[in-house]
Amino acid sequence: MTISGAISAGWKSSDGKRPPAFLVASAAAVTFAALIPVVYLLVRSIDAGSEWIDIVWRANTAAVFGRTFLLIGLVTIISVSVAVPVAWLTVKSNIPLRRVLSVASVLPLVMPSFVMAATVIEMYSPKGVLQGWLSGLGVDRLPDIYGLGGATLVLVLMTYPYVLLTVRGALRRMDPALEEAARAMGYGPVHAFRAVTLPMLRPAIASGSLLVALYTLSDFGGVALLRYQTFTSTIMIQYQSSIDRTLAAVLSLVLVVIAVLLLLGEGFTRGRGAYHRSTVGTVRISHRFDLGRWRWGGAAAVSVPVLIGLVIPVGVLIHWLVRGLLNDQELLPLLVPARNSLYVSLLAALATVLAALPVAILAVRFRSRLSRFFERSVYIGFGLPGVVVALSLVFFGINVVRPLYQSTWLLIFAYGVLFLPASVGTLRSSLLQVSPRVEEAAQSLGRSQWKVIFSVTVPLVMPGAFAGGAMVFLLTMKELPATLILSPIGYRTLSSSIWSAASEAFFAKTAAAALLLVVVAGVPTAYLTLRGHGDNSGTSDRSLDVNGAGR
Amino acid sequence: MRVPWRRKPAGLSVPTASATEVESGTSSTPTPLSEETGVIHLQGVECRYLGSDTPAISDFNLLVRPGEFVSILGRSGAGKTTALRVIAGFEQVSDGYIRIGGKLVGTSFVHVPPDQRRIGLVFQDYALFPHLTVAKNIEFGLKDLPADERRVRIAPVLKMVGMSGYESRYVHELSGGQQQRVAIARALAPDPVALLLDEPFSNLDRQLRAALRRDIKKIVHETGATTLLVTHDREEALATSDRIAVMGDNCIEQIGTPEDVYQNPISAAVARLIGPCELIPGVYRGEVVVTEAGVFPVRVTTENSILDGRQVLALMRASELEIELAGEDDQRTAMVEAREFEGEFSEYSIRLDSGTLLRVRRRAANGIELGSRVTVCARDGSKVIVFPA
Repeated sequence: MTISGAISAGWKSSDGKRPPAFLVASAAAVTFAALIPVVYLLVRSIDAGSEWIDIVWRANTAAVFGRTFLLIGLVTIISVSVAVPVAWLTVKSNIPLRRVLSVASVLPLVMPSFVMAATVIEMYSPKGVLQGWLSGLGVDRLPDIYGLGGATLVLVLMTYPYVLLTVRGALRRMDPALEEAARAMGYGPVHAFRAVTLPMLRPAIASGSLLVALYTLSDFGGVALLRYQTFTSTIMIQYQSSIDRTLAAVLSLVLVVIAVLLLLGEGFTRGRGAYHRSTVGTVRISHRFDLGRWRWGGAAAVSVPVLIGLVIPVGVLIHWLVRGLLNDQELLPLLVPARNSLYVSLLAALATVLAALPVAILAVRFRSRLSRFFERSVYIGFGLPGVVVALSLVFFGINVVRPLYQSTWLLIFAYGVLFLPASVGTLRSSLLQVSPRVEEAAQSLGRSQWKVIFSVTVPLVMPGAFAGGAMVFLLTMKELPATLILSPIGYRTLSSSIWSAASEAFFAKTAAAALLLVVVAGVPTAYLTLRGHGDNSGTSDRSLDVNGAGR
Repeated sequence: MRVPWRRKPAGLSVPTASATEVESGTSSTPTPLSEETGVIHLQGVECRYLGSDTPAISDFNLLVRPGEFVSILGRSGAGKTTALRVIAGFEQVSDGYIRIGGKLVGTSFVHVPPDQRRIGLVFQDYALFPHLTVAKNIEFGLKDLPADERRVRIAPVLKMVGMSGYESRYVHELSGGQQQRVAIARALAPDPVALLLDEPFSNLDRQLRAALRRDIKKIVHETGATTLLVTHDREEALATSDRIAVMGDNCIEQIGTPEDVYQNPISAAVARLIGPCELIPGVYRGEVVVTEAGVFPVRVTTENSILDGRQVLALMRASELEIELAGEDDQRTAMVEAREFEGEFSEYSIRLDSGTLLRVRRRAANGIELGSRVTVCARDGSKVIVFPA
């Protein structure tokens, strides 16, 4: 082998193709940027030296650990047991209003956790609306909503759509012949579901559960309002209450370790097969089970989470708005925060998708140790709670890039680090649907590699890019802790306005801002959900794959 | 890796033997494209995939002359597609060299990227661009032409493949056969140096396959395009090609006209690939081979002349054998086990005592009953070929 051959071997991917240099360079830059927070945290913690074991114990970590894991476990189990039946009913059965219900059942996704928590408190607390209704029936006192119960309820409502989306995608992609084969071999419908469908869904359930667990781990607003102390809220309190932020940095690092452990757990379920379809054929339309007279029961069952997770919270918000307006409460001038929210969210979506593109192309098309490293590194953001990223960027901003500190650019950068996995994930699954032969055809027709990327690859993954962008937009709109920490002083977005108004019990303001946010965030969510409903005649599988998408 | 000495996109129209001039690989003086340089020339080419110990192809030699239609025939996994991808530039050569149109495009240290090789490639799954219409698909490769000229090119190319009127269709609105035609039109439109076809008919049903095969043969003939087809289907290779290159493991074992390769296979492996046959053991004695099925005259070639008195494998083809009802004192007999009626002929399955099954074609008129004992001999005048055992 010649010298240049030896050098090129280092670049070679496992299928022998060498990626164009500009792709490697941009992916490397993105990876480097995404790793800044973790690296910075490490540096901070090392600075703390041997103190840090001490610091961790001082914070009463063991108890917080226990509470956090209890919450994660409960939320994950309940979310899965809500989502799997809902997914099955909305994909595989003939319940009435199936399409409406399948969109509606995902919509709780638009509610930020702190809004959901505030409405849950209003509704179910001992002084809440439900108590008011029930006291007429002789119920004196509802169980206390604060603490584990309330936190679990809020987080389940927030997170079951993640499992719902992944499981639904898997159900749609599943070859109906498998289940039919089981039926033909004498399995009853229930038995066939248990023996064939459920095992096939296991990877989807696992990746959905991962999203639930990571979300629960990183949530701040919901648990804070419901007064349940978790790791994330401890860090936030530490950050806000003390001048020395070493403790917050050290605890953040512990949080990263937990998140990485969760990610590794899911890694086992991920295959490395090729998913693109080589032929352009029609997807066979799956047969729907006739539930007979249980159809309405099925529809009612799907309606329950929609009612609790969407209808009631929105109702409470409207109720607040009306009551506040009647009491002449002043409405916050919402236009500025709304404009700010739109601005940062759109920029974050655009930047994140652009940054995700080279990483995803490299990961799918030029598989090598290097490209895997890039992809995996970017996925770190997925396990990093907003608090952690925000904190490390505060340190980073103050010490390294002073001019960027207290600017919206650092905020957008934080969103990028946090939500890169969402867009890499959707782009990745879009790319897998595109046969590499199509790109080779373009190259054999005389286009250089990078022209092929712009003339063929990018147009073909456009749906994935849009979905990824929509996801980032939605997540950015809802994001709270990073927004609170990194927003320039006086820069308010919808979510930070809601948070401060809710903390000060200005219900009308909370409600107006929250309703606005829900409406704005509802647009991309509806797009994402409807996209998954594309008719089956399309040339590509359009179901939303949130495997590695979002948090 | 860019090639610094590359001057311009080599102005190769669909090459004809005399007219086309190309750059030489090492100097800037153009050398005429001759029989010797060929359109595609691979010499001692080796290609390894990373992480695999054995090369996908090694010591691969092939010369495709201007205007020729050559097929590479091999079983799946032999490395046919790798060879094609090496020529197209999607895989890099680890040893040997490749010239296209006389120009050096691939060695272990030179690699001209696919987009600069001017090779028309038709993929097994067509790989049409799903986001573009038929016309845009064809226009894709014409980017170097001015816009109005591009549009002018599309119509005749589509007409050539019989797809006029489909310009504004999207790919998913076409049938498999139509997609195939568009793929060929797309590959031919930019006037490539050579056309490479990777199992182009394997996704089509039998009838369509035969029809399309004839059409493509005709189109390629009309344009005079130098064509290299890769296939595992011997009928396809025999019916379409001027020459067939039969691949063993990783390299070409034999190359020649279909008739030549069929009649004079140089090895048992080639014989098996090129046509249905049976190879039975025997002993070579002078001009005959003595086998369990009988004694057959041997066609002496240079390859088998040295094997006198040694164990050999005799090539038995259904069309070169004859069976007769056995008499009482015949020693080497076999039993008729099955008979398939094919109209003019019947094909008999003959079970030898060792258990080997021979197939014999025989006029259907005078049939032999199942279960009869028969003797096997060579059909009038035909001699069998033997290979070293």
